[in-house]
Amino acid sequence: MTDLLKKITGKEMNRRDFLKASAAGAAGLALAGTGGELAQVANAAEADAVVNGEGEWIPAACGHNCGGRCSNKALVVNGVVIRQKTDDMHEDSPEYPQQRGCLRGRSTRKKVFGADRLKYPMKRKHWEPGGGDKSLRGRDEWVRISWEEAFDILASETKRITETYGSRSILSCGHPNNSLRKLGGATIFWGTASQGTWVLAPHMMGYMPYKYSLAVPGAGAGAGMYTARDVINDRFDIRNCETIVMVGMNPVWSSGGSPTYHWLQAKKAGAKFIMVDPYYNDTAVSMDAEWIPVRPSADMALLLGVAHTLISEDDPVTNPLIDWDFLNRCTIGFDAEHMPEGADPKENFKDYVLGTYDNIPKNAEWASERCGTEPDRIRYLARELRKDKKVAFVCGWASARTNNADNLPQLFVTIGAMTGHIGKSGHMTGSSCHVYGANGGLPLVNSGGTGLPTIPNLVDDCFNAADMWPSILKGKYNFTGNYQFLPGEERDINIQMIYHGARNTLQTTENINSGIEVHRKVEFVVAQNYVPTMSALYADLVLPVTTEWETIGGFTFSFFTNREMVLTHRNVTPPLYEAKTDREIDIGMGERLGFTEEELYPFGPKQQYFNQLATCNVIQDDGKTFGPLVTITKEDIDEWGVNGTPQEGKITLKEFLEKGVYQVKRTPNDNLGYIAFENFRKDPEANPLPSSESGKIEIYSKAYAECVNAMGYTKINKPYPTYIAPVDGYENSFRNWETKEKGDYPYQVFNPHYLRRSHTIFDNVPWVREAFTNPLYINATDAKKKDIKNGDTVIIENKYGKTLRNAVVTERIMPGVVSLPHGTWAAIDEDTGIDRAGADNMVCGPHVQGMGTNAYNSNLVNIEKYLGEPLVPDAEQPQRIIF
Amino acid sequence: MGNKGFYYDMSVCTGCRTCQVACKDKNDLDVGANFRRVHTFETGHFPETKPYHYSGACNHCSDAKCVKGCPTMAMHYAEDGTVQHDAAKCIGCRYCTWNCPYGAPQFIKEKGIVGKCDSCKELRDAGGNPVCVDACLMRCIKFGDIDELKAEYGPDLVQEIPILPSADITRPSLLVKPKTAAFNTEFRETEV
Repeated sequence: MTDLLKKITGKEMNRRDFLKASAAGAAGLALAGTGGELAQVANAAEADAVVNGEGEWIPAACGHNCGGRCSNKALVVNGVVIRQKTDDMHEDSPEYPQQRGCLRGRSTRKKVFGADRLKYPMKRKHWEPGGGDKSLRGRDEWVRISWEEAFDILASETKRITETYGSRSILSCGHPNNSLRKLGGATIFWGTASQGTWVLAPHMMGYMPYKYSLAVPGAGAGAGMYTARDVINDRFDIRNCETIVMVGMNPVWSSGGSPTYHWLQAKKAGAKFIMVDPYYNDTAVSMDAEWIPVRPSADMALLLGVAHTLISEDDPVTNPLIDWDFLNRCTIGFDAEHMPEGADPKENFKDYVLGTYDNIPKNAEWASERCGTEPDRIRYLARELRKDKKVAFVCGWASARTNNADNLPQLFVTIGAMTGHIGKSGHMTGSSCHVYGANGGLPLVNSGGTGLPTIPNLVDDCFNAADMWPSILKGKYNFTGNYQFLPGEERDINIQMIYHGARNTLQTTENINSGIEVHRKVEFVVAQNYVPTMSALYADLVLPVTTEWETIGGFTFSFFTNREMVLTHRNVTPPLYEAKTDREIDIGMGERLGFTEEELYPFGPKQQYFNQLATCNVIQDDGKTFGPLVTITKEDIDEWGVNGTPQEGKITLKEFLEKGVYQVKRTPNDNLGYIAFENFRKDPEANPLPSSESGKIEIYSKAYAECVNAMGYTKINKPYPTYIAPVDGYENSFRNWETKEKGDYPYQVFNPHYLRRSHTIFDNVPWVREAFTNPLYINATDAKKKDIKNGDTVIIENKYGKTLRNAVVTERIMPGVVSLPHGTWAAIDEDTGIDRAGADNMVCGPHVQGMGTNAYNSNLVNIEKYLGEPLVPDAEQPQRIIF
Repeated sequence: MGNKGFYYDMSVCTGCRTCQVACKDKNDLDVGANFRRVHTFETGHFPETKPYHYSGACNHCSDAKCVKGCPTMAMHYAEDGTVQHDAAKCIGCRYCTWNCPYGAPQFIKEKGIVGKCDSCKELRDAGGNPVCVDACLMRCIKFGDIDELKAEYGPDLVQEIPILPSADITRPSLLVKPKTAAFNTEFRETEV
């Protein structure tokens, strides 16, 4: 085995040759894991011959926040990864599906072994203590340094800044590491970049079957995720639906892996699909859905039009659209007869929709003017939702990720309540996305915890992400807690250090241009990453970190998992080049600040991984209780050399580590099904909802309105859903709404999740850059007006920034709307200030709304054909290779 | 018994391109060379737009022009009827890339020779499937005896649609379950 590499390759390459070859795209490159030695596999066929009987398929991490949770494996031959595959651990069937991964997972080896890995610690050439010429950040040269020097710089600058300005002057992007926590903590940020207003609204209006505390700092982030888990029936029950109405959702792009396959089973069982979206997306294509086009950030208007149609056309005898029984028993605030105590009976939803007091009926025509959907299509949608059909009325979080969307979840649930699609088999309402897509219900198997104690962050300062950069520039911000939705409190703040410990925050936060300004203002910026992300490129000090393939092993997202399985992954390769793990970097920093390894991490990675394995639990045969997942013997514990107790589970440690996945085997009509709100619907008095004051679904929610309006951002009008024209929404695209004269930024832009990457991860990998070219999607009629042809380079601009993309001229998008996929790596031309990569946050405004919403899908831009140097395809652009 | 080839269910394909990348991984192909490739098309006009995807590889044709036109017999039929390529015999003349109406053979610049989908023959010989089959998230690619696939997946399968050449040219071992839109002759290919 030891000379296998030479057998494969017949020759060795030095680092420079490897990089040259890799950058040029030579075939069949693989990288030996030991000592940074590099080698070329002669060809795939030869490698295959070698592989026979010699390689090992190792469960490999696919740890991305992509909305999928899938099996990934790497075929490793003596340290060289030859190939990948996905789940083949059991026979595949729709009932017991393999958990197959997508193109991103399958190109992970190109990410891990990419020539653009950060290989050595490095500092900015003109860096000096205190920053030196800070305007050079993002354009300076890099100098390779030793880890000793890197740790010295990191520790001394952190110490100096903490002593001079205090711990709250440090902005930690990603959780502060233990050294920072020990030293006194750091300022962090929160946001609703994922769930939009769904993060809070269901928890206050009662639309959650369980109670989650929002008081604990940060806990609201998890509670927000569960708004897509707890409110939808399980994957077997969606097959009972006759109609599935999807609003602003495209699981094909945003929930890789199994969710779309689950929806397909509903289609095969006969369900009709209706897609409500500005773009006829690939989920719609796959499900052969009818299309109801709607403008971005206009769902409030659309759904008010739907409500009006339902109210005005309903006749309990001749045309039963509304489920009055459900409304009467299970909700408050719908009409004057069902108001909470003390509320003005005039302040009810029904009379608002009908225009009883404001003389503005929110009918289909009123809605159409705002949302762009034809009035007949709005009425059609309402009728399709009728109570006597089995309907899933589901959405992604995208439409709530807009300005002034605070009432949208409430309105969405109100429509579901009006039509009675809650709490019964074949009926469901709410968000169904991310890892919970098409499969609601509490997890049946859970991964365990490391057992490491949490060192508290002693700083409570916490920006909202959306206006973080402008707030830092101003030195003032509105404090509302860390996902705690507290009443606003203006605070002074003086950020002087940014620690990019994880994430790619400069890239993923609204208003990149002001972010760059911040990065050129503060005294010190450090980034640890495995590739030169934008956040790394604008730092003073860059620390190369390992990928998960280089760590001892672990779990892919130990929380927010696929309901039916857990994934564990093992070490695939030793650390590449001089990369260190996050833990090693933390200890290197901490030791220079006077902390011992023991104080920072009381035990090592092996014990942590073992603890995780030992504390996994799984549902028992009764369908109710949980027991240990992994059988662990005394011999296992001795072999690992860890502390532990033998236990009996459902799978041996050896088998689990070999397979990398444990999946609960489900069958139709087993005892693991889930119907959300079933008991509540049957008897709301005996089973009140734990998350609303009244125990009912609150169409009128005083608590919610008071909470939102105290936060100090924008306010909502009423405790029930009413329309507010969104900032940077369709109405604002006009200089004069009455005469319909367009303004300077006449196009609405939205930013969908994109299958070439998981947020920003993978955007550097050539295989996926080739498969998905990252264009700007523009309607054919608009393109014609602007003389833009397929493939032309287009400039997208507004008052926040300018960015370029090649146009895809298409009939799949509404006129007046362009789609700019989320998450590409900005590449800013220093001469022009124009980003050539199509980064969404160049044109996303720094608005915080209502309950702290980050509004990605409500922005306005102008587009023109770009007359400067045209773009070359992303896949043909050189990789960012620094050393 | 018929020839061996691919069945492709266009009607539910999401265009996710997992098959394309799984194939690149198996065959270690860099940017520019794709033994399987997914294309996206649209027909009709807003709001009656009807898009569809097409995932195509070598169709292991029974009258393969790449075999006929190969001067060195690098392109040849294997004992199971699939079209195979012998890299050792290939001189990189590229005749096959011109002769194949499906664009299946790919010239690989760095190697100076051609390569193409071999239907993962060594995996199949060992009892497995082509990687694209096992990769597909929607389970819409199958490989096997064309007659058996036809019997299993119903009568509505076609070998020709407007985006493809006439099946008379090479007699492909291909079965497509089409979307209705795929019969529209006014189609436009788009990037995604």
